[in-house]
Amino acid sequence: MLNLSSFVQKAQQLLDPTQGLNLTESDKNPSKASLFQNQFRLPASQHPLYEITAELTIPPSNATQGDKDRERGYHYVGKLHLSEAYLCFSTTATSFLQSASTSTSSAFTGQTQGSGPSGNGFTFPLCAIRRVERLHSQNFQFALAITTWNGFTQDSTKDKKDPAKDRKDVREQRITIQLAGQRQACERFCDGLKKGLRAGVGSVQKLKKVVSECYSEYLLRPEDRKNASPPDAGLGMLFRYPGDPKKLRDRAKMRLWAEYLRDNGRNVTLIRQPTFHKLIRVGLPNRLRGEIWELTSGSIYLRLEHPTLYEETLAKHSGKESLAIDEIEKDLNRSLPEYPGFQSEDGIGRLRRVLTAYSWVNADVGYCQAMNIVVAALLIYMNEAQAFFLLSALCDRLVPGYYSTTMYGTLLDQKVFEGLVEKTMPVLWEHLAKNDVQLSVVSLPWFLSLYVNSMPLVFAFRVLDVFFVEGPKVLFQVGLAILRINGEELLDAADDGAFISVLKSYFARLDESAHPKSENPKLRAVTRFQELMVVAFKEFSGVTHNSITELRLKNKDAVLNNIENFTKRTAIRNLGPDSKQLSPDELGALYDRFYTVLFDRQQRDHIIKEEQARRSKNSRPRLAEVSGDNHGVEKGRVGLGPSTSLMDYDAFREFLAGMSKWAVSDAPSTPRRDNFGEKDKSSYFNSFRRSDGVLSPWGAGPEPADHEFLQRLFRKWDVDSNGTLTLQNVVTGLARIKGKRDIMGAINYFFELHDDDGDGKVDREGILRMSEALLFLSRRGLEGSLSPANSDTVLNGFADGMTSPQGLAPGGSINERFLGSVSAFIRRCFEYADPDHPKNRRTDHVEETASKEPSQDLIDVDSQLADPDAFAIGDDDEDDEDDLLAMNSPASSPKPKPAQKPNASNSQPTLDRKQSSSASVTSSGEPSDRRRASKVQSEKANIALDPSNPLHITLPTFRMVVLADELLEQFFESSFPASFHICDGLGSAVPTMPSSSSSLTTFSSLGIGAGRAAAAALGVQGSGAPVPGAAGTASRGGLRGVLDNIVTDGMRVAAEVRRRMEDAQRELEKNAVPGQQRGDEDDDEDDQDDVPGFERGGAGGPAAGTASGTAAGKGVPGSQAYGGDAEMRSVLSSDRDLLEGADAEAGTSSRESSDGNGNVSARGEASGGAGNAAAKVVGVEFEG
Amino acid sequence: MADANAPKPSSSVKLVLLGEAAVGKSSLVLRFVNNDFQENKEPTIGAAFLTQKCQLPTRTIKFEIWDTAGQERFASLAPMYYRNAQAALVVYDLTKPTSLIKAKHWVAELQRQASPGIVIALVGNKLDLTNETSDGDAAGDDEAGSGESDDARKVSTEEAKTYAEEESLLFFETSAKTGHNVTEVFTAIANAIPETSLKSARGPGASNAAGRGAEEQRVQLGGPRNPDSKEGCAC
Repeated sequence: MLNLSSFVQKAQQLLDPTQGLNLTESDKNPSKASLFQNQFRLPASQHPLYEITAELTIPPSNATQGDKDRERGYHYVGKLHLSEAYLCFSTTATSFLQSASTSTSSAFTGQTQGSGPSGNGFTFPLCAIRRVERLHSQNFQFALAITTWNGFTQDSTKDKKDPAKDRKDVREQRITIQLAGQRQACERFCDGLKKGLRAGVGSVQKLKKVVSECYSEYLLRPEDRKNASPPDAGLGMLFRYPGDPKKLRDRAKMRLWAEYLRDNGRNVTLIRQPTFHKLIRVGLPNRLRGEIWELTSGSIYLRLEHPTLYEETLAKHSGKESLAIDEIEKDLNRSLPEYPGFQSEDGIGRLRRVLTAYSWVNADVGYCQAMNIVVAALLIYMNEAQAFFLLSALCDRLVPGYYSTTMYGTLLDQKVFEGLVEKTMPVLWEHLAKNDVQLSVVSLPWFLSLYVNSMPLVFAFRVLDVFFVEGPKVLFQVGLAILRINGEELLDAADDGAFISVLKSYFARLDESAHPKSENPKLRAVTRFQELMVVAFKEFSGVTHNSITELRLKNKDAVLNNIENFTKRTAIRNLGPDSKQLSPDELGALYDRFYTVLFDRQQRDHIIKEEQARRSKNSRPRLAEVSGDNHGVEKGRVGLGPSTSLMDYDAFREFLAGMSKWAVSDAPSTPRRDNFGEKDKSSYFNSFRRSDGVLSPWGAGPEPADHEFLQRLFRKWDVDSNGTLTLQNVVTGLARIKGKRDIMGAINYFFELHDDDGDGKVDREGILRMSEALLFLSRRGLEGSLSPANSDTVLNGFADGMTSPQGLAPGGSINERFLGSVSAFIRRCFEYADPDHPKNRRTDHVEETASKEPSQDLIDVDSQLADPDAFAIGDDDEDDEDDLLAMNSPASSPKPKPAQKPNASNSQPTLDRKQSSSASVTSSGEPSDRRRASKVQSEKANIALDPSNPLHITLPTFRMVVLADELLEQFFESSFPASFHICDGLGSAVPTMPSSSSSLTTFSSLGIGAGRAAAAALGVQGSGAPVPGAAGTASRGGLRGVLDNIVTDGMRVAAEVRRRMEDAQRELEKNAVPGQQRGDEDDDEDDQDDVPGFERGGAGGPAAGTASGTAAGKGVPGSQAYGGDAEMRSVLSSDRDLLEGADAEAGTSSRESSDGNGNVSARGEASGGAGNAAAKVVGVEFEG
Repeated sequence: MADANAPKPSSSVKLVLLGEAAVGKSSLVLRFVNNDFQENKEPTIGAAFLTQKCQLPTRTIKFEIWDTAGQERFASLAPMYYRNAQAALVVYDLTKPTSLIKAKHWVAELQRQASPGIVIALVGNKLDLTNETSDGDAAGDDEAGSGESDDARKVSTEEAKTYAEEESLLFFETSAKTGHNVTEVFTAIANAIPETSLKSARGPGASNAAGRGAEEQRVQLGGPRNPDSKEGCAC
């Protein structure tokens, strides 16, 4: 079982607006783990397991060259942390107590004295620890002595040969730590440490590889072993490092560093003491720069995790192409082109490989211009693998979102920067506002390329030195200092151009004296750059990670909304000509729906995956996961960059279910529970909510239906046949349905949907599928203006109708009528179908006439409907009732094999009448001729109905058949297009969803299950003409299942079928003219007046419960009575089953019960079929 | 403000360059401003800012040129740069049909989002890659169905021109490499800027006489610009 509560917790986290900002360090309430990872710059695989207060003692022997007081040493009090693979110590207060928020933690703030987030202390990989001893101590104190591999890993083989010599040259790094705390806690910590150390043994080889690439190893190697070539410390070794080494005092710096490293450990075993931070502030020496960057940014720990990832990535993707690679290629020659290294193939090759490898590892980011500049800068000081990992630390942690496809991080930080300027330099800010100068025009490149191409390289690297230790706040501090120093001049600049010029000239003179006229030579020696650093870190010491975080949070929504609006605007505008058929509002809403569905699905995926990962507990850390939880949380939000823009079939279902009620499933597979975590955004998801919503693949929304029609629609829209839809596909698809409001278009479209091979013909199965689709689409009632007389009632009436019994009348009747129309549709289709050999030309001719004048036909219908008695068409009333009455009597004598012939000939007159009626209005109809013609046809059709004779209908036939029925016509003209509630969604279109579901409960209980059962029953039954049921077996759900589910309509079908059989019989007997008059009545079967007539016939009422009661009973007699040829399925027989079921049960099932609880009503129906034991079984199955 | 040689009224015009990456936006600007061509230019991060003057018979137009980054993901930054722009140069690469599509997107974006009355010029760059004679018969604008035989041209003059006419854009085919038609583009834009928008559009920036001196200075700082190019611009 899934742990629900943890899910809910996760989901709530997710829904908390302050959570998941995807701004790594700026979460308002970040997880303990992410704070820990941030503080020590550790990979996402590391979690704080144990933590204890401790005192670190660095023994004097280590701290000095021997000339210092042996007694003193260094002591630091702080916290000792243990993670899976690291032992960390920091003097900076812990940042990840349960109660900690970033505002109480000064950790990442990095006290601007320059200690950086991890303060003084160390971050030892456990594999770098050689030995841990417990010391005896007098005060019952728990003390550990830790010896590291510092300096030994390199020469482990030689060690054995000559340990004594080694001792002399490489001093053992040994520190002591006194744990302060309860004995138990100390023991626990030590147990954890023991475990970790054991596990760390395996990583020693990795450590060796990583360390071997560090220049410090070479630097500290005894002179006599320095014959080996030094490790690659960047292009600078080949092409010189930028700047004059003398001026930079590189040698002096190197000596200082050598001393520090000797005393305090090198690379991974380095201990941070105040000197360390001071040394960084004065600028790193060239050859060590790369290594220290790697260390302070934490990218070395990424490398330690996967030392070969870079090479592997390149090997894996070698020879492949991508958009990113194309983009990279364009910029290779223009990355720091002034540096000689990048005028050479060597340098360009390195740059290419690093950028390419990263674009593979983080495909979401891929390649962004400015990365080339940053990486080029890195490559001057470090080797390719180092640059690769540092780039990923940058993208994931240091400047998150800067290089994403929407660059939201860049834009956000520009807003933050503007906010800081406004706060710290109000006068300048006002000046900018007054002159309409946009600050970000100037500052954006600073941040995006980390000052690398804004300042002369030497100075940019000094900024980077501090940036990697102290974090992104440095970028802000430097930026503010630049503005402050140039404040006077900037106040004179009246536009963007002037503004840029001032700063450009400032950057060009950074190496000049800041106080050239000063008397004091010391002051004169201060360069402008030094001044800049002082201003940045002294004057703007108030700019901390906290203040930045706060501002980021404050501006985040606005920035993301801006981006999203822009993206949306652009996307919609670029949708192409088809989109013009939809209104801008509709396009906007479609866009939102499309991405909301994708976003929601991604979120749920993420949670489910996370949960799975949590349970399987083998979450292998990958480089892409460096940023851990914060990475995927809001992934999918358009503003944050690359989200999937492809909609698969399931997403498509969900998408449709958000705006079309027919796309909502009748049989939710997951039970409904209480709501939780209202999502403010998705108001249209309000109807069905489940507590396990996030768990369910459908989230909080209604479960979408799965019907063949949806699949067809999906395939149709998926023009590239790649199994996914783009927004473009969706818009084009919808534009064709909703676009022109053109009935012919809609009819054609529907036909095309079912014309599998595109040959303009739809075969028997296709016809059945069409009718099935029609029923599927209408099963929750029709929308749109169905007839002039009752257009209002339908739209409003549907909703109302579902809530109140009296309101049921108009809506319900429409649905009934529609059902009738659909059966008439099937009948006519078969009648007018062409056999699969081109023979029947006359049919086409007739079709032509019929379809040529649809509008007039429409008028005809309209005029009829305009009649006050809207639902009764003229004088057909009585006939209709007669008919119904007549139908009921022979019902008691079911004919097992009514065969297709009677059916067909029965239906023929109906169509004939219709034709003649339309013809009479339209063109010169010679009724008698026509009749004769259609008789011939009907005979042909009879043959055609034989399943052994393949048949098909063509588009004109289909059109004619549709136009022959005013309801179908209206369906295609308005109701089908209207059923896509693009703008308002279902929430407003069906405000009474829950109540309407009361009438749908019969679905929920019977639903698809019923369809399947019925279809199964049908499958073995042999009978006459093809039926919807045939399609039911062919496709999931099944027409019969759908039929069953038609609200209030089951009985109608029964009646209709029964009557048709009667007609057929009579038709057989009379075989001509009289039947045509009867046929006239067929069309009116749809009318409301039928209902009372039917009720008289003994049914309980047209209530939903009754209908499904019918359904419940239906399939069973079929399976009992008929058997054999599965091919021989017919409307008639299935409808007959239905009818029998109805007869048996209708009376017992009451309308009230059906209006109530779904289960109850289902049960009632089942018991309604008590007379038939099998029916009961089926009913029960449905419930299950 | 008094320019040394020409005491004509001078006004600045903000011009923004948009278009797909590597169609030659920066090169066009470089050609116009410095009469220079570089094979490898640093990619534009965000946007580059340059200025250049254009002498018209009656006035001097000083272009403040915002050369934007072409990479797709920088598109969301573009509004920042085309804000208040009075003119835009939408560039495509006439050897690359997709770049024209992108250009059309930009035109649509500008027409809806930029300041009303913005003068837009559609420019097909890299004419040097086609077989057409890129020099000489310049004024004719060579749309006389000139032989598009076996060259690298993928976008016909006709197609782009028709589109430009539909959207009432200025239209040119240029070569930043040879310099063909480059100054013509800017001159045409300068001529197309309505007098009215010159006075008011730039607000304080344009009318601020005090800022003139600073602007003058900026021109020199804005980029090492060849004084000769002024002549090149004159028409």
